[in-house]
Amino acid sequence: MIILKKILLFLKREFKLFYTNIADLFSNILFFFLSVFVFIFALGSDEQLLRTIGVGVIWSLLLLSSTLSLRKFYEDDFKNGVLIITHMGGMSYELIVLLKIFSHFILVQIPFLASLPIVGIFFNLPTNEIYNLFLTFVIGSLILSCLGSISASMNLLNKTNFSISSIIVLLFSIPVIIFSVGINNAGDNFNSLINLLIGIALIFIGISPWSSAASIRLALKNS
Amino acid sequence: MLLVNDLSFYRNKIKIFENLNISISSKQIIQIKGKNGSGKTTFLKLVLKILEPKTGEIFWEGKNIKKNIFDFYNHTTFIMDHNTSSRKITVEDNINYWKGLSSSKLNTDEIFVLLKTLNLEKYYKSKVIYLSSGEVKKLELIRLILEKKKFWILDEPYNHLDDKSIAILNQTFIDHSNNGGMILFASHFNPNIDNLEILDFN
Repeated sequence: MIILKKILLFLKREFKLFYTNIADLFSNILFFFLSVFVFIFALGSDEQLLRTIGVGVIWSLLLLSSTLSLRKFYEDDFKNGVLIITHMGGMSYELIVLLKIFSHFILVQIPFLASLPIVGIFFNLPTNEIYNLFLTFVIGSLILSCLGSISASMNLLNKTNFSISSIIVLLFSIPVIIFSVGINNAGDNFNSLINLLIGIALIFIGISPWSSAASIRLALKNS
Repeated sequence: MLLVNDLSFYRNKIKIFENLNISISSKQIIQIKGKNGSGKTTFLKLVLKILEPKTGEIFWEGKNIKKNIFDFYNHTTFIMDHNTSSRKITVEDNINYWKGLSSSKLNTDEIFVLLKTLNLEKYYKSKVIYLSSGEVKKLELIRLILEKKKFWILDEPYNHLDDKSIAILNQTFIDHSNNGGMILFASHFNPNIDNLEILDFN
């Protein structure tokens, strides 16, 4: 029971911190919208062309936008020692990572869902493709949160090379992109592609707490 | 009671200290002194198992802390040289977080008495970002009373504090040791505490 209380306490603190930084979220979504606009202006108003490439473009831009705020994943809590006192309060680093991934998924990734139908209209996407986009983004963003946790924890002591954390995320999200975009032309294979995506998500939920916690321990030892 | 047995630590193949044997029992206040780079903070981190020693073991109440780390953490408060309060949320939220983490039973009135002694009660509803560095340090030291643990480990607790706060901190140390507590801290400051024992790292 005590550990449940502590989990709720941690999430409550995450929500409060998020609420004070709400401008970050809006700027992320604005970045996403503007990059979509830039793409549309660059391509011109060919309806058929926009419809063909729509899902691919939206997914690539979603990926780029969600890597923007990754550096903040653990940085503040690591610098001021909240990770240490939370650990001393009886929570293992693995549990902390899992809660961080959960709150990042809920607070940073899910708000993008609201922007997807609007962006879908810009690209003149049919309804079933917007529906597919929704479905794949819910699963895919969970994978992105896990990847973000891994890359952010690996870069805790890295003060200079800012792009390396995005490289890790982009590299490992290639399968997510392949299956998420390919789902529109899948036909009978729809279910198997969804299952594959869920499988990837489960693998990452399984490994990211351990690998992130190991990276955090390593960073604490060398800080 | 804490027992440190034959502790050695090397950082990047450079010897920091070797074959350290220390025991700390109830009612003891121990100050670690030493020049810069003599391994004061490193020793505190080794005791808390944030760093791994090259050789040696640490025992808490007769049990190796490697296997009973959360049992040890349950009795320990660690005040770092940097502040663990989150700057963007209010003093109240920070205190509630610390309180929940240590399952503290202190009620709001008692917390207000604490804040009043340290002259912080006017900041209760404001964000930590508006406090001066000395006030943030005082806020951090509230954790000592809040968590009600037996073993206090502090790294440079006297930094940024004014004379009045230093007197309050010294009195808190003396009261805690009279109540059977143990205190281990690293500092360059010479505090005015009667039964202070000094551990020289030079």
